[in-house]
Amino acid sequence: MQEADYKPAAVVKLDTLSDVNDIGKPWRYEEDGMTVTRTCPWSPPGCHPVGCGLKLYVNDEGRLVHVEGDENHPVTQGRLCPRCIALKDYVYSPARILKPLKRNRADRGKEDAWMECSWDEAFDIVKENYERICEQYGPESIIGMSGTGREGGTMSLYPTMVFGTPNYCYMQSGYACYTPRLAAAAYITGSTYAEWDYAGALPGRWDDDRYTLTECLVLWGKAPLESNPDGFFGHAVVDAMRRGTRIIQIDPRVNWLSARADIFLQLRSGTDTALAMAMLNIIIKEDLYDHDFVEYWCYGFDQLAERVATMPPEKAAEICQVPVEKIYEAARMYAEAKPAAILWGLAVDQKTDGMQNSQCIIALQALTGNLDRPGGQLLPGADAGHNELGFGYKECIPDELFSKMIGMDQYPAYCNMILNSQVDLMLECLETDKPYPIRMGFYMGDNALSNCAMEPKRWHDALVDKLEFCIGIDTFMNASIQATCDLFLPIATVAEREGTVFTHYAPCTVTAGFMHKAIDCGNLPSDMELAYRLGKHLHPERFAKWANEHELVEAFRLGVEEHGEYFDRVSQCVVAQVPIDYYKYEKGLLRPDGQPGFATPTGRVELWSTAYNQFGEDPLPYYIEPEFSPVSKPELAEEYPLILTTGARTTAFFHSEHRQIPYLRELNPNPLLEINPITAQAKGIADGQWVRVWNMFGEALMKAKVTETVDEKTVHGQHGWWFPEESGDEPNLYGTFRSQINNLCPNGHMGKLGFGAPNKCLICNVEPVSESYDTDMDLIWEKFGKLV
Amino acid sequence: MTTYGLLIDYEYCTNCGSCQVSCKEEHGYPVGKSGIEVVAQGPWRIDDDNINFNYFPLPTDLCDLCADRAERGREPLCVHHCLANVMYYGPVDELAKRLEDKPKQMLVVPQFMPREAKGRFVHVDRGEEHKAAHIEVAGTGKSTFGAHRADAKVGEYEEDAV
Repeated sequence: MQEADYKPAAVVKLDTLSDVNDIGKPWRYEEDGMTVTRTCPWSPPGCHPVGCGLKLYVNDEGRLVHVEGDENHPVTQGRLCPRCIALKDYVYSPARILKPLKRNRADRGKEDAWMECSWDEAFDIVKENYERICEQYGPESIIGMSGTGREGGTMSLYPTMVFGTPNYCYMQSGYACYTPRLAAAAYITGSTYAEWDYAGALPGRWDDDRYTLTECLVLWGKAPLESNPDGFFGHAVVDAMRRGTRIIQIDPRVNWLSARADIFLQLRSGTDTALAMAMLNIIIKEDLYDHDFVEYWCYGFDQLAERVATMPPEKAAEICQVPVEKIYEAARMYAEAKPAAILWGLAVDQKTDGMQNSQCIIALQALTGNLDRPGGQLLPGADAGHNELGFGYKECIPDELFSKMIGMDQYPAYCNMILNSQVDLMLECLETDKPYPIRMGFYMGDNALSNCAMEPKRWHDALVDKLEFCIGIDTFMNASIQATCDLFLPIATVAEREGTVFTHYAPCTVTAGFMHKAIDCGNLPSDMELAYRLGKHLHPERFAKWANEHELVEAFRLGVEEHGEYFDRVSQCVVAQVPIDYYKYEKGLLRPDGQPGFATPTGRVELWSTAYNQFGEDPLPYYIEPEFSPVSKPELAEEYPLILTTGARTTAFFHSEHRQIPYLRELNPNPLLEINPITAQAKGIADGQWVRVWNMFGEALMKAKVTETVDEKTVHGQHGWWFPEESGDEPNLYGTFRSQINNLCPNGHMGKLGFGAPNKCLICNVEPVSESYDTDMDLIWEKFGKLV
Repeated sequence: MTTYGLLIDYEYCTNCGSCQVSCKEEHGYPVGKSGIEVVAQGPWRIDDDNINFNYFPLPTDLCDLCADRAERGREPLCVHHCLANVMYYGPVDELAKRLEDKPKQMLVVPQFMPREAKGRFVHVDRGEEHKAAHIEVAGTGKSTFGAHRADAKVGEYEEDAV
């Protein structure tokens, strides 16, 4: 973006908004004795970077007293989800930590052993351990552990410039979240994730002249209303439906959208790739595809046609356990609608053949001519994204060190794509010290043991045993830090910091938002500011070119170096719409060389993937039965007769966060296992009764929700549970292992390229238990309700 | 006086919870209390192709339609934050006309603390109170108000029993 592009976004007023409103107000203004700061929040609390519009009302004592949605935001238009509405309770929670804490390694897992210390002392502790461990084991012995939705976790700054390690590591098996989809899109189309065009970047929004309303929207393994996935404002789906967009939903689980879909394909968990191949098959056989687009812009059509011919709809219907006529109906409706789009979700990543599922979905988008069409799929252009990925590698990670990245030999398609060590191999490395020992760690905004890590007890044991020194960087204490860390570094919330938020983590950005600091809770740094302060302490030479944190933010996020003045100027827009263009492949806007076509080796959308082929993967899509299913493991069907799917979001929480915010916890007090009434009756389970759910990997105790959201063969377990109201001492650790659905999810079952994990397609059994573990909301209120 | 209410397009309420949390933040209601709650209906199958699954944001007896905000000309905070944008605030007569626009809507007129809204009990003096008359009465000597077994003493009146 150029400076001129950072202008306040055009406002489209909602019809529910009063005529007395704040449209047109500047980034900061006074009202009724309060200072109002407009901001677009992103991390912490964690969230996918939608960067919703927020107005923060601060009184003359400098205290945040009211939070309201900002009607000046072009996409959210004043609307807000419960988590930001309750932001004040997060900022002033009595459980929040505002000073660095230290503890002896021998005292890990003891809540009372933490002692407050100064920032200087904390940094000296880091330096002493860092230098000792680097000298003894080399910088590759350091693991930077990331989760999702926090700025710290997306910043290569921490691992590269601050600690100089090649082992930046997202902790979820097979990196089974967003990145497999990004990787597939990048390999096949040369651009990353093609988002549905919901007119977010257009000044007139839905009524903009350049826009055509999507006729048919396919929601594939995605529940966007609750998850706001990857920065997409989920309720844009509702906005479109109210204008006439029709829905096809593909999901094993009924959600609110399923009941409003024209076609709902309630397929068996993990069989999506078979369905996708069958849909391609129908569209090709019935000649419903865009001949011109295929002829001029696609590569490998005949081979794809031949491959998908091996998946007749009748065969897919049997595999997916859906009526065959519904598959035909869905393929025809999607192909005939113009424009049509597919919102492809996390479920695509969470299976072993996820990369093939993505491959099919991209092929569907291409064959129907919906790529880069208004109301279809918006492709990120050659100038999309910014310089975050890869920031610091060149200067701080020499080639030899880079080549030591765990997994680089076996999974180059993974390691090079996201510049991360392959997580499943990292766990083995931790456990075995092979190929080399891992001895130091830091959590860059990640409660791995409660959320991101599969088989978390295994990770727990390895981390506690092997790390000689570990740092937690967060706003609240959590189970992972309590179990494994020796130092806690507190960071600022969105209300206390400046920064940027680019939707969709930058690849397919529609708005660019800025954070403005409204309050101060002790001069706490944001993740980026902490990286600057700590990095300067450890490696002053690497940070010498920036006089302060502010200059680094400008360089890192905006790619400009004007001593922070540029940032100060452009940030006053609060939120700008990003200039976009359609049909970029015709205009030479997708490739760095400025030529028409796609940024792939063949210049076309590669239905036969040269990249997959190069990495030793099949260049064409194929279906594989989930490794753990009633079909692939009939011998286990008696012991584990049910299909387990996990991870559906709620608006109450962002993954493992917010359990200590009473108003949010109240929306969902207990860890729920959804079970069909017929299955529940057969097993003697009453609605609200606690149950044990288990499989060959582990078990969890959850509260049954008897509901038709799942069919008779399937149960769904919520993820991310821990209980901050309980004791954090070992072995309880806030009860993190008690209701932990990840106990049932394995590591090491990724696809050929190292991506994918079967978290949404496993098997299990369920039985009632007589005990109750119901959350006492009065206790939550007593413990966390009184703000400080 | 104009009556205000909420028109709710419940076809599109997604149960996001924003109304409830907004209300609690605005009024400081503790855990367990709120001026609005979302009530669920379903999901259950009507037949193979149709699912009944609706949510209804329903004001409670603690909803004052954000009186403080209304004074400043602002809509209630639940209306402001509703992610699906399905809540409309306004005079009931204007909202009522919009009921014709589409099905699956409802119009709600909440009342804050209805028990207290009725006010303290006040006796109304109608000025024509009936006064008890002074008339001598003789006894019947037995109970006549029920069926009793023949040997029962119930209702028999003996002078010296008192």
